[in-house]
Amino acid sequence: MSDVLARRDRALSPEETEELLRDRLGDGLQRTVLEYGVFTVWVEQDAWVQAATLCRDEPLLAYDMFDNLFGIDAREEGFDVVAVLYSTSTGNRIALRTRCAGGRDEPTCPSITDIYRGADWMERETWDMFGVDFPGHPQIGPRILTVENFEGWPLRKDFHLASRAAKPWPGVKEPAELDEDGNVIERVPHIGDAPGPYDLDKAMAEQAQAMNPRPELDGPEDDDDADDEPAEVEAGPDDDPTVSGAEKAEARRKAQAEARAKKAAERAGGDGDEGAAQLDQDVYDQLIAEGKSERIARSKAKAAYIKAQRAKEGDA
Amino acid sequence: MGLMDQVELPQPVKYVFNWGRKYSLWCFNFGLACCAIEFIAASTSRHDFIRHGVIPFAHGPRQADLLVVSGTLTDKMAPAVKRLYEEMPEPKYVISFGSCANCGGPYWDSYSVTKGVDQIIPVDVYVPGCPPRPEALLDGIIALQHRIQNESLKDRIAGRRQDPITLGADAPLALEEGA
Ligand code: SF4
Repeated sequence: MSDVLARRDRALSPEETEELLRDRLGDGLQRTVLEYGVFTVWVEQDAWVQAATLCRDEPLLAYDMFDNLFGIDAREEGFDVVAVLYSTSTGNRIALRTRCAGGRDEPTCPSITDIYRGADWMERETWDMFGVDFPGHPQIGPRILTVENFEGWPLRKDFHLASRAAKPWPGVKEPAELDEDGNVIERVPHIGDAPGPYDLDKAMAEQAQAMNPRPELDGPEDDDDADDEPAEVEAGPDDDPTVSGAEKAEARRKAQAEARAKKAAERAGGDGDEGAAQLDQDVYDQLIAEGKSERIARSKAKAAYIKAQRAKEGDA
Repeated sequence: MGLMDQVELPQPVKYVFNWGRKYSLWCFNFGLACCAIEFIAASTSRHDFIRHGVIPFAHGPRQADLLVVSGTLTDKMAPAVKRLYEEMPEPKYVISFGSCANCGGPYWDSYSVTKGVDQIIPVDVYVPGCPPRPEALLDGIIALQHRIQNESLKDRIAGRRQDPITLGADAPLALEEGA
């Protein structure tokens, strides 16, 4: 290992990574998604082990660090398993995702403990929480997160919480609000929706709303450089999907700067007209003539002006 | 304890004896979650429960008089708490600190959380809150000390415990007669 430090310039872009993986895995690679700065590669169940091996051994990818592995409940379609890998030489992170064979009843996913030793306990935890079996795992049981005699798979969506059955929801609000006809009322929370009791809270909420325009439904963003920075979650209503994340961020920064400037102007509003005149012009000119710098001249002239004002007030 | 568990001590002796006991509570902190931070805050200089005679961080359960369970007790951890409690010598006291330890707290419907330490060990004082402030722990300790001052060691060792104190449910210092 001659290079220890991350070399971003060597890193493959998501497109290049996809191309390379597609070349090696063929149809084993289903699709790729770039969301929230995470590059996810969906692979066929059969290509799962091969994909992990490739990610580790291919010098261009060099995902040498196993980050984590977890399950996702995909409702009717069964379960997904996601492995997140990291490369210490390029600083890239990749998520491999596969749908388990066996549907909801007997989900199985080949173990990658042979490739990454660190996957051992992660797979045990996934088995513990979702009941996904990992053939090839050295020892999947006994359960490590739950008690040994625990029954069921607690992170499955259809797992019943006994306390919920015995006791109504103790909070003020039901988790799902129903209207008179029994339909679920869908409420999409927005930033700044629920200001606190104080004026300050309300002002902050207003500001937050102004800063975060409500998203109009626009298609998924296909920005290219989201690998470097997390993709923007809320897109402005006037956002063109072709505008890249960086440009958008730039535009937002500009808008914020303008808002700040406007506010500052408003604050100064009352005495804005005198603002420029609060200098003793004679003193200023004299100091400039003496060769003093503009800043010093200005501050001294200001002081002289204030002094003169005070004197005037005293006379009056 | 020999004699102690067979003979009721005469009142003056009992007074001095209990007075000594209540101001040297070696405390075993079972910190399990966020509440443990408040416990630690209570042990540091600002709140400083050592001035109340609580000696924090006993080296092990066998040297402790007081067990403070602060935080979320999971089913997985429950056997450990029970075992450590059983390792403590009598007379021993338990403070359940925080909603989680009292009843499961915000995890009332969780699949993995024990809904209160009192399901596995007897509790002397419940300190409610999520998390309770360090002052609340001091209040709980003082309530416990009042109880110790007035109790009969013989009963205690024989396992005859009084009803637990719930802070806030009763007026703090009127808990025990003669307080
Ligand atoms: S009662 Fe609240 S603060 Fe204390 S451990 Fe539970 S969740 Fe944390």
